[in-house]
Amino acid sequence: MGKVKEVPESGTRSESSLEIPWNVVVHNDPVNLMVYVTMIFRKVFGFSREKAESHMLEVHHKGRSIVWSGTRERAEFYVEQLHSHLLLATIEHGES
Amino acid sequence: MEFYSLSGSRLGLRGIPPLLASLMRQIPLLFEQDWSVAEERLFPSPSHAPHEQTLREDWKAHVEPELHASFLSARQVVEADLRGFQESEGNYTLEFPVAHAESWLNALNQARLCLAAQHHLEEAELSQLGPIAIVSEKDLARLQIHFYAALQQWLVEVVDTA
Repeated sequence: MGKVKEVPESGTRSESSLEIPWNVVVHNDPVNLMVYVTMIFRKVFGFSREKAESHMLEVHHKGRSIVWSGTRERAEFYVEQLHSHLLLATIEHGES
Repeated sequence: MEFYSLSGSRLGLRGIPPLLASLMRQIPLLFEQDWSVAEERLFPSPSHAPHEQTLREDWKAHVEPELHASFLSARQVVEADLRGFQESEGNYTLEFPVAHAESWLNALNQARLCLAAQHHLEEAELSQLGPIAIVSEKDLARLQIHFYAALQQWLVEVVDTA
């Protein structure tokens, strides 16, 4: 696996982009294996096996799971990490 | 077919039938064909929000090239490992370093996503259990996806317990 570079801040963020929380949302897809998704959650976020499995099952049963919340920059970094492992992930503002 | 580990430093599969060896050789080759249909899945948007156009443009300009390079690197590792196939009594053996397990996982995932997109395989079709009768290219793709999943399952166990 190649290493993932952090995304540089581009230009000036609007005020709303600086307001937290920003959520990292993982979406269900029919191809990724449940054990693989669990492994990636543990690797990227340092989750315990139980927490990783809980999020994986939420993705599987509900179609999505908020796996992390915090600053916009960090959320973008995590989405990139998840994309590098071929998981479907997006960034969403906590209020949206 | 049997999976094995050699003193924790190398992984191997032995007794690989010719058909499955052929499917393994196709892992990096899938991307020599037209895989543009899978591009949207391999490089998904970081946001669906209408007002996040700038983020999507930045992502395409800065992140996607990094992902392209990372995915290519994983496929190249697998391609090099696949040159190590050994034939014995009609079946094949393949060994590769444990350190390559993550590249294999990534390349196998790319291949599975690519095949699913190319053949428009949906969740219901991928979840069907039981033997697969190969009467079309789509059936073969389904077999290929399941075989690659079995390899991934084994590799996840290896990586998870390392």
